[in-house]
Amino acid sequence: MKKIITTMVCLSFLVRVTLADVKFDQKAFINHFKTIFPSVELADYTDGVYMIDQDSREQFEEILDGIPPYEEAVEDGGKEYFKFGLNKCIALKDPVAARIQHPYFNEVTQQVVTLETAIKNCYQIQTGNNLSYNKGRIARISAWISDQAAGQKINVKVESFGAKAAYEKGKIFFYAKRGQFNMSCADCHVYNAGRKARADILSPALGHTTHIPMYRVKWTGMGTLHRRYSSCLKNMRADPLKAQTEALRNMEFFHQAMSNGLKITADRYRK
Amino acid sequence: MKRVLLIALVLFTLTALAGYMGSLYNWNNNSNSFKYAIVAAEIGYKENLAVDMAWRDTGKMIKEAKKLYKSGKNVAAIILANKAHQQTVNATLQTILAKTAGPRF
Repeated sequence: MKKIITTMVCLSFLVRVTLADVKFDQKAFINHFKTIFPSVELADYTDGVYMIDQDSREQFEEILDGIPPYEEAVEDGGKEYFKFGLNKCIALKDPVAARIQHPYFNEVTQQVVTLETAIKNCYQIQTGNNLSYNKGRIARISAWISDQAAGQKINVKVESFGAKAAYEKGKIFFYAKRGQFNMSCADCHVYNAGRKARADILSPALGHTTHIPMYRVKWTGMGTLHRRYSSCLKNMRADPLKAQTEALRNMEFFHQAMSNGLKITADRYRK
Repeated sequence: MKRVLLIALVLFTLTALAGYMGSLYNWNNNSNSFKYAIVAAEIGYKENLAVDMAWRDTGKMIKEAKKLYKSGKNVAAIILANKAHQQTVNATLQTILAKTAGPRF
């Protein structure tokens, strides 16, 4: 009986993997948001909640017109990029390419490689020191690299069998309910996007990854995408997984792929 | 229909009986009850952690239950350990459902 169940589970997983089609998924994803926000242009999803709420938008534009609170941090990130010799690593040599090429699926290690993991690896090679994944130096450097690619389009490639499996795992993580509140990422950022959770408007998942790392008022500083994932999981009363664990990297792979074709932006201010 | 009613009746009787027996039992002096509850919670929690589906506060509850037990507050310790165990059971159910998770559009 056990064998039959195991075989069935394996077979159903294999079927799901072979069916993983990013373009198909993204089309359905975009169509869903078109239904919720019929008047919003696809390109405007880079602005997150600021494309929905007029008051928040005015505040956002005011902040961007002045000196954005993250500007100095991003500049420091650029200095640190050269100071610690990150330009000597092949993966980061060209910052524009680095941002566009990550995340990608490494066929040798059979793992998703994110920009932050590439930065950390390079930093360790160049300096011999460790680098934390959530905030501080890694967020500054990553933000500077992303700034160089502003205007370029996100283009996550999911081609091989391994990549499709990782994408599918990330997709499941995104849609699966977890934690004491029995909620999924999608519950807030797909099905209820634009609605209010307490005083905050829930942002649409489409376009989330165009402005990462972000400056959050709540953090009074910069943070990476995985820092945001962890705080979301905490809010759902689920175990906040450590940044860059396999599960979160897979989810980033899926999450970024859903924003394929959207422009990377340097406007990284968020509430 | 008769069979369903019979099963429901048996279940109801068993639940009522369990509740009645529980109220008669002196839990305060039973260290085994705590041990069973805490071991069940710990095993469940480890399993949930292994599949990235653990709940945020389960670990803290297990720790707190152990502290309470050490300080002699057995009833509170058992209640908390059972709550932690229940969280792991719910997380396991979520793990099963997660296998078929996907978009609803």
